[in-house]
Amino acid sequence: MAITSEQIACLIADLYEWSLKAIPPDTRAALAGLASRESSVTGRKTLRVMLQSADTARRTGGLVCSDIGIPTYSVRIGTQVRFDGPVRQAIVEGFARMVARSDPPILQAVTNPLTLVRGHAGKDMPIVSFDVIDNADYLEISCAPKALGTGRWEALTTFVYPTLQQMEDYVLDTVMLSGSQACPPIVVGVGIGGTFDHAARIAKDAVLRPFGQQNPEPILDAMEQRLLRTINQLGFGPMGTGGDSTAMAVHINYAASHGFVPVAVSLNCWINRRTQARLYGDGRVERIE
Amino acid sequence: MKTLHLPLQRADVDALVLGDMVMVSGPVTMSIGLPTHQRMVDLLDAGRPLPVDMNNGAFFHLSCFNQEREDGTGHDALYLNPTTSTRYNAYMPRLIEACGLRLVGGKAGLDQASAEAMRRQGCVYLSFLGGGCTLLSRAIERVVSVHWTEYISQFRLLTLELRALGPGTVAIDAHGNSLYDQLRLQAQQRLDQMRQER
Repeated sequence: MAITSEQIACLIADLYEWSLKAIPPDTRAALAGLASRESSVTGRKTLRVMLQSADTARRTGGLVCSDIGIPTYSVRIGTQVRFDGPVRQAIVEGFARMVARSDPPILQAVTNPLTLVRGHAGKDMPIVSFDVIDNADYLEISCAPKALGTGRWEALTTFVYPTLQQMEDYVLDTVMLSGSQACPPIVVGVGIGGTFDHAARIAKDAVLRPFGQQNPEPILDAMEQRLLRTINQLGFGPMGTGGDSTAMAVHINYAASHGFVPVAVSLNCWINRRTQARLYGDGRVERIE
Repeated sequence: MKTLHLPLQRADVDALVLGDMVMVSGPVTMSIGLPTHQRMVDLLDAGRPLPVDMNNGAFFHLSCFNQEREDGTGHDALYLNPTTSTRYNAYMPRLIEACGLRLVGGKAGLDQASAEAMRRQGCVYLSFLGGGCTLLSRAIERVVSVHWTEYISQFRLLTLELRALGPGTVAIDAHGNSLYDQLRLQAQQRLDQMRQER
């Protein structure tokens, strides 16, 4: 059976709404773990208020954060999937549907960079990336709204034949710049290699990786641990008012590259918005997170 | 937890220490619009009054969804949540002193020029939880006034009556001390030391 535009629009709307009204379970567990280990009194109290905030939003159907961000989706298409109707148009329609039905209503965050006029729609909105999954019979969609708090601190630079230390220093310098401002404890996603655009893409994939998955590349696994340890020794703490919980995780992806090596750093704040689901040809929706 | 009842006097905020957590009750004015800040400063520069009197009061960088009732009898505020205050660094020293503010706030703090203005004026900065929307919004009692409704909701100059907004962490005190400056300096020193030792 073919996946219809209506089914896609429904899921696009649901994924966004889910992302606004709860934090991922692994993120809640990570925050609770940090709260039990945090050495700063202020930091510990702030982490507890974070948990209280997330739980209140989930229980009451309210928003975790009023900055609902701009819509970004990643769509991975199983090669066995057939479509009945347009796909991109369904994504635009799905987001518009979420805006229209949202309870509570959402603020206007989509901004024209040339005129600074704000609304709920705009050129290239939602931002969608497409990829394929060989032999799969489903459509896999991830939603990760991007708001100002972390969006303004994400960065990319291009090295030539860098050492591992140079790349780590760049990640740390980026985290230093964001400091107290990115609503820590943050998640740091790093993309190394490929091209300018690809490094940013795999950094975003990295920031959205669920917690607890060991990096299969031993060099990066060790780098993730070193960076996480170092970031949590900086002392910014929860909400940047002090403590040793500045990051929940560091995740790194890499791709082969030339002698030039782009390094991209993506950040998520403590609410770590990400939702994901699979849509099958029979209309079944399997929520992954 | 201590509750600060607005309006406040200098002695009330002088007593607050970095890291203290407090609740805030009373009339609080808010906006997250850069054009709003510019307009406020332009009015002050022209020697004209702002539409709200914030003397001994609070001005927070809280983003609020507010809308006019369908029957035209006034406005309702549905929710609020802090945004990053550093975006408004250029405006805040002027607003803090000219408006006679006792509390400013939002999240992520203000720069040293603002901290100096706060020291001169007798004013503290409160850090509220980013991502605290539903929790913090329980403090909303009623809309006191809405000005500049030609702006989008969160950019308007809005005053709400709040009951026990918080907790807010005292992150810049009324004596020129800033938790943000201290933590940034400490982080840079620790990073430099770690780099030297490797």
